[in-house]
Amino acid sequence: MPQIPQLVDHRVLNTAETALALKLISRMDFLRLKTIARWHARGLPPDVTWDDLLQEAFTRVIVGSRRKPEDVSMVAFLAGIMRSLRAEHWRRVRGGPGSRETLRIDHQDLSRAAALSDPAADLEHALIARQELAAIEQLFAGDPLALRILAGLAEGHSAVQIRAALKISKTEYDSARKRMRRALLREGLTCAQN
Amino acid sequence: MRTKLSVIEPQTALNRILDALECELIDASDDEILEAAKDLGMNPLMKGSAAFLGLHTFSFAEFFESEALREVLARTMQIAAATQREPNGDARQPKPKRTIERKGAADK
Repeated sequence: MPQIPQLVDHRVLNTAETALALKLISRMDFLRLKTIARWHARGLPPDVTWDDLLQEAFTRVIVGSRRKPEDVSMVAFLAGIMRSLRAEHWRRVRGGPGSRETLRIDHQDLSRAAALSDPAADLEHALIARQELAAIEQLFAGDPLALRILAGLAEGHSAVQIRAALKISKTEYDSARKRMRRALLREGLTCAQN
Repeated sequence: MRTKLSVIEPQTALNRILDALECELIDASDDEILEAAKDLGMNPLMKGSAAFLGLHTFSFAEFFESEALREVLARTMQIAAATQREPNGDARQPKPKRTIERKGAADK
């Protein structure tokens, strides 16, 4: 019995849909992506710029190494890629698989390779992170409530936990987050390279 | 709850803050972006606005209109379609360039 040919090739459709989604990125979305890229480039070494992050994210979408789920906006999807690129970068520097030096121990009881990670990479990461935290604190220097919310976020608390700990209403919390968003957008739209 | 960020391991604190506030930027409305730009004396609605400075990917946006992108997409679609037609991997593969070069080198 002859088989009915498959009418829809999902792989082709995915590519076409991705192209269309990329084409539909508006001017405002580009600004949104600029602020997100600048945000995620914080804490990366100076030789990795926010534009590098953004271009790499676009490249991964175009070559199809990352596929956008239907229910995720292109901006959120690209933001997710930039987030994972940031993590990937530090994993590589700190000594993830393939980046470690190995030392062969020629002893019958210790006949295995010992992985050596570069302790300087951790120190560099900590130093850069500390500088960035200070810069972020500076961004909200005039807003004590925002600083307290930041401290809560740094400890990994949820919005509900932060509101409870700070004894503030949802409205107070939301308006503080709105002020923070405005400050982040202002900082993200500046013209500095990093 | 602590009020100083420096008490927690800095890498962890920074990652948590970056991840937590990322959504603020994703969810920012067009109006909020325009207002923030206005604070900086920029008007993103104007052509050549300073807000787009440094955004090399924006000129990349022109790439979406270009012949180059059409070629990349057409090639990807052809490969996808060919793989679909030949599920057993019998599709004729182009000869690797390196092999041809090696043969040439051996003849010399």
